Amino acid sequence: MKNKIMKTAFSTIVAIFIAVMIVFTVYPILYAVIGSFKTNGELTAGGSFFPEGAWQFGNYFVAFVKAKFIKYTLNSVLISISTMIIAVFTSSLAGYVFARQRFVGKKLIMVLYVGLMFIALGSVTLYPIYSLLMKLGLHKSIVGLILVLTGGQSANVLLVMGFIQSIPKELDEAAIIDGCSPYGIFFRVIRPLIAPIMAVVALFTFRNAWNDYVTTLVMSISMPKLKTLTVAVVQLKYSMNAAAEWHIMLAGASIAIIPILIVYFFANKQFISGLTAGAVKG
Amino acid sequence: MKNMTKPQVLSTRNKRKIKENLQAYSMLLPNLVLFIAFSIYPCIWTLKFIFYRYSGLASEVPKFIGLDNLMRVFRDDIYWKAARNTFVYAGAKIIIIIPLAFLLALFLSKKRKGNGLLQSVIFVPTIMSAAVMGLVFYLLFNVYNGQINYYLMEWNIIKQPINWLGAKNAMETLVITAIWGGVGNYMVYFIAGLQRISEETLESARIDGANSIQTVWNITLPMLGPILKIILMLSITAAFHDMTNVMVLTEGGPNYSTMVLSLYGYSFFFPVSASSITLPQYGYGAAVSAVSAMIAGIVTVIYLKLSKKLDDVY
Repeated sequence: MKNKIMKTAFSTIVAIFIAVMIVFTVYPILYAVIGSFKTNGELTAGGSFFPEGAWQFGNYFVAFVKAKFIKYTLNSVLISISTMIIAVFTSSLAGYVFARQRFVGKKLIMVLYVGLMFIALGSVTLYPIYSLLMKLGLHKSIVGLILVLTGGQSANVLLVMGFIQSIPKELDEAAIIDGCSPYGIFFRVIRPLIAPIMAVVALFTFRNAWNDYVTTLVMSISMPKLKTLTVAVVQLKYSMNAAAEWHIMLAGASIAIIPILIVYFFANKQFISGLTAGAVKG
Repeated sequence: MKNMTKPQVLSTRNKRKIKENLQAYSMLLPNLVLFIAFSIYPCIWTLKFIFYRYSGLASEVPKFIGLDNLMRVFRDDIYWKAARNTFVYAGAKIIIIIPLAFLLALFLSKKRKGNGLLQSVIFVPTIMSAAVMGLVFYLLFNVYNGQINYYLMEWNIIKQPINWLGAKNAMETLVITAIWGGVGNYMVYFIAGLQRISEETLESARIDGANSIQTVWNITLPMLGPILKIILMLSITAAFHDMTNVMVLTEGGPNYSTMVLSLYGYSFFFPVSASSITLPQYGYGAAVSAVSAMIAGIVTVIYLKLSKKLDDVY
């Protein structure tokens, strides 16, 4: 009897704990999305969770047209998708070469790939990268920004390498006997087999590019036309009449977070399993 | 005849080797170019400019000043304030986030209807932009118009609005947002670890009469050991890197009370906020970042040593 009471008490505490954590997690997001339909006056007065008056769809019109968010949305889409494609393509080729090919200098290059993951210089690297782009004449082009956001990707390369190493080598050898070149092996044998890990790399690079703030901010200093949604939204904080524009800030924030939420809705399993693939193996 | 064939064989083998190398490099090249440009080159640049004075003016020639930049780091009070803040921030974040993530994983990894959905919900902040959500938190934690103070006063928990982003509370506010953004991430790591513990082990503990708290304490936690070590490692490095939320929410202020090492390094290269205008000091910024990387490295090494000792105890 006592045991049973203890058990109910315990599971009640657990349920409350989980409920609190769910509210903690969801509240800021709901605040942003629902708040984007309020008037500025309603927002700054605090008050009810849902809009008291009419839902202000006009906030989005203002954000898209007056704050030029149409342009920034297109930038975000173009930049994130290009970054994703380049990252998947280059990291899977490199991962394959590391896992399967022998070549001069392999040890040295691999040591560099692994070693540089542990040297955390952080944001300092942005300036030399920016000056390098300037020398190459890419600092005012979208190509430069896309390449910087793709970056060295040593983590992705090592992730793909680990995945390929777990594929039996006999498959390659059979293909070699059939007269396949390394390219043939990669595109006909390996690529279909590594689709799951390529999806993980794709999702995470897309997310990182879409969400990136600091790198994109720095690279778009001399070219405000290249701003992405994330950068444009945060910069609303610094605009002249920031105090008066909470509704526009939240509309902007919602425009920035809803697309990634939709991606997550369809691919949450891949996001979650991809995270552990990277952490536990690497 | 014999003398003729040997070089012939060698050269065909050489040819094949060269071909193999060319093929390998041609596939590696797209990534290698990016890696050299965006990973190796910035490192070399930083190592060089530690020893130079340079503010990037078009006419300026970088001037070699030896160890002056490094000496200045050690005398820089704001640097050490930032170092202390970084440790406080990282420590508070890790101490709170790891147990929360573990408990969530423990409760939500049980095969029960709805747990998968709850996991996905807790994970959502991980996919969101720290910058955009930083702006949302900036509004939520606003002193006079923010929802947090509104609710706390409405429910009579506080009488006066709390200045969440003021010098006294800003660090706590940052830690709260960091926990919001990271707990789902570590929960997923823990779930991956829990799934490696076999049902039979837990079952046999139960048969031996262990209650659930005993099972968690004596079986689950020790068996999670190896993964816990990785998780702690990852959380330490992540906490030392966090910068975006600080940049958007407090800009390191007020009066450097939330300045962290990563943002301090950044501030010598680019303006931290639109309103701050300072002349860049690339050489000193390189030195600041190098010393910070070193501190992070030392922390990592100490952690690895300590966690090895833990192994010996068990």
